[in-house]
Amino acid sequence: MVFLSLSCWIRSRGPDRYWKVQEIVKNAKHFRGRKNRCYKLAVKAVRRAFVYATKGRRLKKRYMRTLWISRIAAASREHGMKYPVLMHNLTKSSVQLNRRVISDLAITEPRSFLSLAKVARARQQEGFRAALGDGKEPVGVFSRVVLLQ
Amino acid sequence: MALCRGAGLLLRTLLPGNPLLFPAACRTQSSVSGVLVPRTSLTSPPWPEQLPPVCEAEDARRQAAVVSTVNGSIERQDYGRLFAVVHFASRQWKVTGEDLILIENHLEAGCGETIRLEKVLLVGAEDFTLVGRPLLGRDLVRVEATVIEKTESWPKVHMRFWKRHRYQRKMIIVQPQTVLRINSIELAPRLS
Repeated sequence: MVFLSLSCWIRSRGPDRYWKVQEIVKNAKHFRGRKNRCYKLAVKAVRRAFVYATKGRRLKKRYMRTLWISRIAAASREHGMKYPVLMHNLTKSSVQLNRRVISDLAITEPRSFLSLAKVARARQQEGFRAALGDGKEPVGVFSRVVLLQ
Repeated sequence: MALCRGAGLLLRTLLPGNPLLFPAACRTQSSVSGVLVPRTSLTSPPWPEQLPPVCEAEDARRQAAVVSTVNGSIERQDYGRLFAVVHFASRQWKVTGEDLILIENHLEAGCGETIRLEKVLLVGAEDFTLVGRPLLGRDLVRVEATVIEKTESWPKVHMRFWKRHRYQRKMIIVQPQTVLRINSIELAPRLS
């Protein structure tokens, strides 16, 4: 074609709109509905998705710890102990295994978990023995128990 | 260091007292007769009334037997596959031979170099477990690993958004990663 007059007010309004749009929309390709194609809807959906992912990374740590604790509680109840008793006595015996490893042992190494439960039980019995002692009142103390005997 | 035999007994707690009547009841005081109170969770203290008597000679004999058995099987090297719980990079890992570990930070060693993981908390085989309090001795266990790969993680998006306040920040986080292959776990025959 031959243009007889010069074009006026022609300028480039940004040569990379396509790539800027794709940068957002490519994160939304697996979404449902129009928000996987249309830029205006995809922007909102992608922003929410990123924010939820950020918050979820912090929550995941809490959920995993709760899961480990409930697994350890179930495994220790199979051996006739409760979770707080097991963990407290393991800490008192200076066994510094964390909950993730103890729950893995309870799943894949049941005999090692049984040995940990026995260590905790032995420490618990030692604690009772140290606290109860003879079962008698100390010398020179008068109390209701002494009067009733 | 506590040692336990693999094939162990299940622990069961004994129920306190014998219920004489149905429903379970007990007397308020042993000196007063004829007054019965239902047995609740607070009638007796939660610790056992009669602890089993401690015989130290028996315990020492049992411990010596267990120690000699475990020592014997370590000297004969007939335990099969060992697993260990290792404290490394502020995390605890349950490892065996030939397995891979991904660590979310940068290590000073180069690719292909061998590393010894020193903080071992627990070592186990099929028939025995060695529990460290809190760590096992350096001359007892040796865990060796090789650095295989040093890469970066996939670009994670950290986004903050506060609605109706025109505030949003987007940051891309790329963390260095290291992959270790656990070569071997070795036990030395030295227990007391």
